[in-house]
Amino acid sequence: MIYLLWMLLCFTHAREALIPIESVTVAAPPNDSGTHLTISWRLRNDTFFHVVNDQNQIVQTLPHHARSLSISDSKTAKNWMVYALNDPSPSLQQVLAEGTSLSLANDTDNLSWSWPGLRQGYAVLRCTPQGNHNCEDHRGNWSVVRKGISPLDRSYEDVVSNNPLQDPIRERYAYRVVTLPVEYANDTKIDFFSLLLNYGSSSSTAFGTPQATWWKNIPGIYTLLFFIFGTGGLIFFFTAQAQRGKKLTIRKIPGIDAIEEGIGRATEMGKPVLYVPGIESLEDIQTIASMLILGEVSKTIAEYQSDVIVSCMVPIVREVADEVVKSGYYRAGHPDAYDPTSVRFISSDQFAFCAGTNGIMYRQKPATNIYLGRFFAESLILAETGFANKAIQIAGTAEVTQLPFFLAACDYTLIGEELFAVSAYLSDDPRLLSSLKASDWIKIVIIVFLSLGVIAASFGSTIFHQLLSISQG
Amino acid sequence: MRQFLFSLQKLDRRIIFVGMALSIFIPLLLPFSLPFKVSKEVQATYDQIEALPKGAPVLISADFDPSSMPELWPFFQANLHHMFANDLKPVFVTLLPTAPPLIWPEIKKTASLYKKQYGEDYVFLGYKDGKELVIKNIGQNIPQQFPQDYRGTPIASLEMMQGIKQAKDFPMLIAISAGFPGINEYVLQIQGLYKLPMIGACTAVSGPDYIPFFKSKQLLGLSMGIPGSAKYERLVQSKENVQPFSATGAKSLNVLSLSHLYIIFLIVIGNFAYFMTRDMEDEDGPG
Amino acid sequence: MRTTIPLFFGFVVGFFMLGDYFIPHWTYQLIKGYILEFGTLLASTAFLLGIINLIQVNLPKIIAREKDWFYKVVMLVSMVITMVFGFVEGGARMDDDQIYKWIFDYILTPLSATMFALLAFYIASAAFRAFRARNADATILLIAACIMMLATVPVGEQIPFFGDYLLHLKSWLMDVPNVSTRRAIFVGAALGTISTGLRILLGIERSHLGGD
Repeated sequence: MIYLLWMLLCFTHAREALIPIESVTVAAPPNDSGTHLTISWRLRNDTFFHVVNDQNQIVQTLPHHARSLSISDSKTAKNWMVYALNDPSPSLQQVLAEGTSLSLANDTDNLSWSWPGLRQGYAVLRCTPQGNHNCEDHRGNWSVVRKGISPLDRSYEDVVSNNPLQDPIRERYAYRVVTLPVEYANDTKIDFFSLLLNYGSSSSTAFGTPQATWWKNIPGIYTLLFFIFGTGGLIFFFTAQAQRGKKLTIRKIPGIDAIEEGIGRATEMGKPVLYVPGIESLEDIQTIASMLILGEVSKTIAEYQSDVIVSCMVPIVREVADEVVKSGYYRAGHPDAYDPTSVRFISSDQFAFCAGTNGIMYRQKPATNIYLGRFFAESLILAETGFANKAIQIAGTAEVTQLPFFLAACDYTLIGEELFAVSAYLSDDPRLLSSLKASDWIKIVIIVFLSLGVIAASFGSTIFHQLLSISQG
Repeated sequence: MRQFLFSLQKLDRRIIFVGMALSIFIPLLLPFSLPFKVSKEVQATYDQIEALPKGAPVLISADFDPSSMPELWPFFQANLHHMFANDLKPVFVTLLPTAPPLIWPEIKKTASLYKKQYGEDYVFLGYKDGKELVIKNIGQNIPQQFPQDYRGTPIASLEMMQGIKQAKDFPMLIAISAGFPGINEYVLQIQGLYKLPMIGACTAVSGPDYIPFFKSKQLLGLSMGIPGSAKYERLVQSKENVQPFSATGAKSLNVLSLSHLYIIFLIVIGNFAYFMTRDMEDEDGPG
Repeated sequence: MRTTIPLFFGFVVGFFMLGDYFIPHWTYQLIKGYILEFGTLLASTAFLLGIINLIQVNLPKIIAREKDWFYKVVMLVSMVITMVFGFVEGGARMDDDQIYKWIFDYILTPLSATMFALLAFYIASAAFRAFRARNADATILLIAACIMMLATVPVGEQIPFFGDYLLHLKSWLMDVPNVSTRRAIFVGAALGTISTGLRILLGIERSHLGGD
């Protein structure tokens, strides 16, 4: 009881020093799922920072939370002053007469200053109007949705429902914003709710309605659609050309040609081919690309009447690989030669898988090792073990961090997009080759975009940044 | 001499391995200390955390496993001390199944040193499968993705999690990642979309991938591998109110120094032998 | 029929998931969430098939006493013991004083760390073999690698006169050639991803379905 009384006293005393909230607005964010509302508030006496150059011109006005400014052209003025004033758009005379001049830490490109900021934090309360309670006053179903909001913040985005099926979204919500002394803003021990309403400085109630949108109206989304439909359209265009008999030429990729040579070598030596499709699951595009390649590789292995061992780290990849290898043997006309134990799940632990695959290399001594997919730290261990066993090694990954290890230890390495070209290259199917051509043309479009973007950015234009941005705000 | 030079080019791997083993054991058995400067990326990491106000919640994604512990554990350990010494309120999540048994005991132990209470001063939400999708959901709706914490307690009942619904409710995100999923995915799904201040700690091999993020200020701080962890550890240990903890990062940095010198030595002698024998014939044949 | 139904499902679900980037409405997000849960369930169920495959592959080799059959016994016995304790101890299996936790702390963790530590040795042997100044490209690679290795550790910083230059050179190497090359590879890989993804969604590529 005494503790509560003491808290009352503190709050009452501290409340006199709190800067009250002038207005609160509640709005649905743009392009929202319908489960968010943004609560924004303004203070009666918020501080603004006005930057004045040595020609006595106000070059920029910055909001309350700014503490630094990058100078874009330091040659035109040498002396800068920053003034703090509670007016967002004063005249120069007002700034010089009434503003507080701040001492600056200068370096050539950056002004910075310190300002104590307000000693108050914020909390947001929410009420759902229902029945007789319209949430206009303290009665109603009020709850604290967020406390401990920083003194520098002037907005908060609230999630009104985590699961609209279980907690339906209401037609409207009421909010209040409360200021508290910053030292109590995060205190979890006091009865926050009643103290907030009675002893903090509370704003009036503001109402808002969530808006669910069915389409993200951001310029970057249209750019994304352009690239997707553009690639798809080009694929269909080049496929139609190929079906009309036009020959599509693809440059030679030694690493892919080496796959068939490696399979031939394995057949001559009477040893199997080891195929490792990476260590990621099926949702990774590199693993999918590896499965597509495995189809062609297993068909070639079946035609050569050699053996394959596929070593998998993810069980579901093993299931798909099993189907793919079986299909390869069927397509080659050797269904009886398919061995169900040739596709193996080793372990779902990265280094246990690596150790198990190394064991296969030491015991069964494959003549050719093919590593195609996404790899991480185990890549060098696999490649060095294969090198020690004198196998021909062909690797391909789009994982840039592992490329140096494969390049150092393997005979052939496919870099980045060459991995995605392998299945089309091996199959020589015009429909697949046309997709390679389409992606090459899109690359040209990207190069043009990049070049124009660099030129535009050099002249200070942000149009390409806006065109390519898919962020919410 | 000629045969010696040819055999130097084809040096047996076992000899190379013995040399590497010595270059690792010697600094561990005979510790020494080389002075080092703190890089601007690590200094920025430290300064960003120092600038957070007391009581601010911080989202920490600790995504490393036993194999990447040597590089990331010193950073994680120092970061725990930094959080609790500055009275910040960390919320831990992880996207790797082998991480929780590594990090949870250390979190509890460090929190008890600073007399912090679970649920009020720190929370561990545990591991969720789904990788990038979990990250996306953290950005949109944390209670939906983690309805309970690591111990099965509903997070709605945890005092600290009141009002924390999505990533934007944190003033900072720290991603300590060994690879995938990690910093890249957090930048894509959270930092890029919600402009959340973010710091990263990664293994040395992934570091070059994330330098562009630091340059473009998408990452406000970056610690790469053992050198980064050791430098951050040194900065945290220099704070006054930090409880003492062992400097594993600095010890590892000494080992790294010697082993790098050893590899450079190997490269030099290999090239020396190569140039000396370039115009000679090898009597034993190649390979 | 055997390929038509999977193709149809792939098309519908694939484009539905693609729509996630364009449609923020909560109804769409809820359905997407359920589909992703199905995917997680399927992947988890596949673990059972993985265990069956492990037994199918290794048990005949143990019975036939093939080379190193004893290690396969160790592997299967370890798997069974870990599974048993995992089920018996349940949600508390990662608490202190549990056997499952002991297996994790004293067997899995040191073994994983050991395998990762092998990299140090393999990097040394790979570097010795690969970094030879055979031509101009290889020489540039060799010099860049040596600069990076020296500048990363405190030894490089302490070299008199050259130390600071080394750090600047390292920064330049990381910021300019490294970043530009990586970005080029990323763009190429991203294009490959788009074209592979579209080939699969549109049914142009079908070899991953098996059974023709």
